[in-house]
Amino acid sequence: MSGIGTLELIRESLVAVVNEMRANIVHSSYSSIIYEGRDFSCGLLAADGRQVAQSLDDNPLHIFAVPYSIREIIKVFKGDIHDGDIFFHNCPYTGGTHLNDVLMLHPIFFEGELVMFAGTRCHWGDVGGMTPGSLSGRVREIYQEGLRVVPTRICDRGKMNQAFLDLLFNNMRVPAERRGDFNTMLGTGRKAEEHVLRLFKRFGGRGLLTSIDDMIRRSAEVMRGHIRRLPRGVYQAEGYVESDGHTAVPLVARLKLTIGDGEIIADFTGSSPQTAGPTNVGPAMALTAVGSIVKSFLDPKTPLNHGSFEPLTVIAPEGSFVNARSPAPCGGMVEVKALLDMLMAHCLGRAMPEMMVGELKQSANHVYLAGPTGRGNGNIFILYEYPGAGTGGWPGGDGNNATRGYTEGDFNSTLAVEIVESQMPLRVEQYRLREGSCGDGEYRGGLGVLRDVRLLGESATLSVLADKNVIPPGGTQGGRSGGTNRFIVVRDGEIVEPSPIPGKVSGFQVRQGDILRMQSSGGGGYGDSLDRDPNWVARDAKLGYISREQARARFGVVLRADGAVDEGATRTARERLRELRVRLTLQLANEDRFDGPRRQFFLPAAAAKRLNVKDGDFIEVTTGKGAAVRGWTKVGDGADETLSVGPSSLQLLAATPGDRVEIRTVPREPA
Amino acid sequence: MKKERFLIGIDVGGTFTDVMCYELATNRLLTAKVPSLPGAQWRGVVEAIGALGIDKGAVTGFVHGTTIATNSLLERKGAKTGVVTTEGFRDVLEIGGTRRLIGGLFDIKFQRPPPLASREVRLEAPERIAADGSVLKAIDGFDFGPLVEHFRKNDVKAIAVCFLNAYVNDANERAAGAALRKLMPGTPISESAAVTRERGEFERFSTCVINSYLTPTMAAYLDTLTAALETAGVTAPVNIMGSNGGAMTLDNARGYVVNTFLSGPVGGVTGSVGICRLAGIDDCITFDMGGTSTDVALVHDLKPRISHSNQIEAHPLKVPQLDIHTIGAGGGSIVWMQPDGTLEIGPQSAGAVPGPACYQRGGTQPTISDANLILGRLPTERSLSGGLVLSKPLAEKAFQDLAKKIGADDIVRLADGALRIAVAKMAGAVREVSVHRGFDPRDFALVGFGGAGPMHAFNVAEELAIGRVVIPRFPGHLSALGQLLSDHRHDSVRAWGGRVGEIDPAAVARQFGEMQKQGEARLTADGFTRDGIQHQFSADVRYVGQSFTLAAPWQASDGSLQPLKEAFIRRHEETFGYADPHNDAEIVNLRVVSLGIVRKPILNFAPEESGDPLIEHHKVYFEGGWVECPIYNRARMAVGLELFGPMVIEESGGTSVVPPSWRIKVHPSGALICEHEGYE
Repeated sequence: MSGIGTLELIRESLVAVVNEMRANIVHSSYSSIIYEGRDFSCGLLAADGRQVAQSLDDNPLHIFAVPYSIREIIKVFKGDIHDGDIFFHNCPYTGGTHLNDVLMLHPIFFEGELVMFAGTRCHWGDVGGMTPGSLSGRVREIYQEGLRVVPTRICDRGKMNQAFLDLLFNNMRVPAERRGDFNTMLGTGRKAEEHVLRLFKRFGGRGLLTSIDDMIRRSAEVMRGHIRRLPRGVYQAEGYVESDGHTAVPLVARLKLTIGDGEIIADFTGSSPQTAGPTNVGPAMALTAVGSIVKSFLDPKTPLNHGSFEPLTVIAPEGSFVNARSPAPCGGMVEVKALLDMLMAHCLGRAMPEMMVGELKQSANHVYLAGPTGRGNGNIFILYEYPGAGTGGWPGGDGNNATRGYTEGDFNSTLAVEIVESQMPLRVEQYRLREGSCGDGEYRGGLGVLRDVRLLGESATLSVLADKNVIPPGGTQGGRSGGTNRFIVVRDGEIVEPSPIPGKVSGFQVRQGDILRMQSSGGGGYGDSLDRDPNWVARDAKLGYISREQARARFGVVLRADGAVDEGATRTARERLRELRVRLTLQLANEDRFDGPRRQFFLPAAAAKRLNVKDGDFIEVTTGKGAAVRGWTKVGDGADETLSVGPSSLQLLAATPGDRVEIRTVPREPA
Repeated sequence: MKKERFLIGIDVGGTFTDVMCYELATNRLLTAKVPSLPGAQWRGVVEAIGALGIDKGAVTGFVHGTTIATNSLLERKGAKTGVVTTEGFRDVLEIGGTRRLIGGLFDIKFQRPPPLASREVRLEAPERIAADGSVLKAIDGFDFGPLVEHFRKNDVKAIAVCFLNAYVNDANERAAGAALRKLMPGTPISESAAVTRERGEFERFSTCVINSYLTPTMAAYLDTLTAALETAGVTAPVNIMGSNGGAMTLDNARGYVVNTFLSGPVGGVTGSVGICRLAGIDDCITFDMGGTSTDVALVHDLKPRISHSNQIEAHPLKVPQLDIHTIGAGGGSIVWMQPDGTLEIGPQSAGAVPGPACYQRGGTQPTISDANLILGRLPTERSLSGGLVLSKPLAEKAFQDLAKKIGADDIVRLADGALRIAVAKMAGAVREVSVHRGFDPRDFALVGFGGAGPMHAFNVAEELAIGRVVIPRFPGHLSALGQLLSDHRHDSVRAWGGRVGEIDPAAVARQFGEMQKQGEARLTADGFTRDGIQHQFSADVRYVGQSFTLAAPWQASDGSLQPLKEAFIRRHEETFGYADPHNDAEIVNLRVVSLGIVRKPILNFAPEESGDPLIEHHKVYFEGGWVECPIYNRARMAVGLELFGPMVIEESGGTSVVPPSWRIKVHPSGALICEHEGYE
């Protein structure tokens, strides 16, 4: 069969197989993160590991990681893969994400030849390790995060390795649930094989494989075409994971993005070394971040395959936290990957100003509350939530309130209150938008959430793995930061910090009657908040997204008693707020100054005083174009009207000496 | 009571309003078609009845499928709706589970549609029910005065009362509803548990708010319609098609608008069931292809599948609906070139205006209808219904332009390619309702109807190796016919259950008994007598630890729960590829469907015209080549006539294109029952 339309037919049919695999998993799985959260993905891959078909519903975190893992498996078992084999894998250092994401791979044979792989990767609710749910903020080694499985053959020509399975399930919590998830993946692989073989019979082996090569080639050409339309150049960005899990010392990630002739090179050289805390990633994640943003900015709509990413080169230095090796924990994979996403977005945004967008929450916000069910049978409950947050403003529109971001799978990140209360000794006491948490801008970010869960049971432990609890998601084009993520316990009306390191909690003891308070971040703003349409501000106040006081203090909009804009007073208020801004002239210093990973800005004393900052306070510098550059205050030398910065700061700002910049504080919660 | 003389089914579509009328004395079916009037569906209804030319006073039964609910929601033309909800939870409707719900992956500029009730009119009341149903905080004595004042000031026209855990105990919701009704007489007020009694606050609240939001619009439409019908002399009570495939009274449609979203497309499914029942076919997939979209649904054991979790735009809708899958591809869908040089179909459509290029109404973009014309599958010599004459040169011109862009030299092969892609999309929709739900489409007959259904049904069947196709007589009017075949239907659900191994079968029987009584009471109030009422029982079952459920039937005569459990295990293995012998099953919900049986037409078609059905021969493109092919006039095809493909069969409202290898036979119901010679 050939001719016009055949290629499309084959592409449609292959995506249909992936969609069928997805439906199978959602409807028969046991982990709530799979059936509620949809934290899984399915894919079809060529015999050499190239991606053939994926669905736009799949978890984008896995899109690059799955092929990476499969290439590893092929490397290990080359020439020794047989019909009826099944492989298993979750090792982050060889293409995995974090240990909870478990990959099962079914090789598919047609007429005796290995023609394709069907892969499913699902987030299991627990894979062992030191705390229920396996992920937590205070780990030091990967061994504390559960069982690690390097590429392993678990089924040999149809014969399942029962000893391996016993070992696996006996080292995980709630083994019945794990076995259920395992069976779901097994059934899905079988169904996929059935469907794929039907396609091979219909289109013929050679015909199908040739068409796949053609599809991949065309996708690569399309992507090269998109890249060629971008201005060539070098763009830079920098950002922080705010803690290594144990101290307040941050990790820095640096990106130098080169746009060439139909190719993109993303170089993360200069990022911090790997750390003995949860925020590391294996080799697949930098590629995932680069690919996700390139896809979002250049070609968001068409089906995915390997070809789209052929024009991308990613350099992630081995041993850094963006490409870590054993025994670095990798539980905080989302936090790192999401930071790299934002660096990519800032760099590409400089090449495509119409696509500049405020930052996302940059954290999975894993929260585990686990304890005895209190029903006397020794069973435990695990509440696992990962609250969504506000998304960023963009030229033309505000961010969304409390919604999964554009690089995230479309998951339910909190469970229905009625399910929580009927299955666990918990009561949800409020779930609301976190008013005022938006990053301000001409187009503001969306609001985060506030969710209170009271423990009715006797006891429970709390683990949290989240970032951006101290350093909030930033804005762009002069837009401001949103409120940070924040996870606390309220005991008898008093706030109790469950960890000295915000957002990194392992096994904190929660008492009966305590309230777990989860707050997620607001999205970063786009553009100057004093340029926001006053009527939009009035509407925000009417909806209660911000208070009248915030409308005045943050947007310079004065509202009359009936809620309408007082235009005269607004003009005056805005002029005054503009005058209060601290603006300095850039001057080139010989070198940049750092305190470990921290970029330092030497502020003139007068400016520091106006900003009310002291040594060590977190600030940002913006030209009003692109992302602000962030760093820590050092008060002291320099003329009163200048900010002296080194060459790399200048590159990050895309500015030249003599340019005026605004210096401002970065509060954890906008006032 | 007047002697029953005419039963009428009316379906309002985007372009046409179709009516089918059944004369009881003669078993005669009359049809008419008039243009729909956007914004005044009722006028099309009245005009369509007028076009039948019958004594309107003699109409005794009347069922109407309307798209009012869907249109008002998609156009956001419902009433300003206020919400009263549990303290601490006013934002549930806006947050949900933080899902985008409308795609948005890789789209930095996506915007989730705002909730139907705006935040400033979502108010909280001091009340709380616990998960076990106990009242933690009663609402009695709360002064709703200030809330009502706020609603009035903000011009609120409808109210939804949405309390947590009301699915277990709705005492507070009912009390609040009663208090509000007293303070705001005439304002429609819905309580969440009364609209749908399922667990999951976001979905239930959303459903309740949709109901309130649409009630004033629907009530106004129904008032206008009944007044207009009365003026026109139609005195029969008006019934509305419900999304669950059953008819409902006017009062039910007014009170539970959420049950009318699929009021339009369900008629085609019930119509297909009626035809299949006559033809002795138990399992079919309905394929309703129109100008801009195609609706597909699966029918197993003569029962259409029901879906209990639905979504409209980004708003969850938790009421039972026929599981109809819609894709944005139809006869008018535009064929275009993607950036990588491959072909794509739709979702843009040429619509009715300008329409496909061949319509001669100014359309220049190539469509699926144009492709069919180029391939000889549509008549150019005879006019279509509505007097439309098609132009082949215009269709060819449109495809020549596309061929230039894409670098193809042969527009016939290009048209054939476009058709194949369209067929692949249709096949995908069929897979969605079959394979994705655990059924093998090859076990089903494909029923092709709607304007473009009979033209593509055979190709879709071949794509999926489906060996049997059914083309009903009057394929363009099947939805209206379906309305005449619909019983009244009331669905009830109870979130009740436990492990199958642990619960008492007698307790299950007791629960079902109570639900049966309630269903009976509803239908008795609608005017049905006890012997005209039937009930169907089922439970939503899953393995302990799973979340999603499968439906398993229950019968009072079962005695134990073993048959239910076995049915569940069987379905699970079929659907998901494994069974779990170590795990117990649990019942999550009980469901009862109560049917009020109505008198239905006896479908017994005879050819309307005499004479040779063969019109002529001409060339049609099949499987890579031109074939000299007979063209038949369906109105002259007698019952029992047997023919072999290839052939084209023309009739008012639809053209059937039958490829080689198909044998067709005219069934006494008028339907063409078609079998593929090559499949088993």
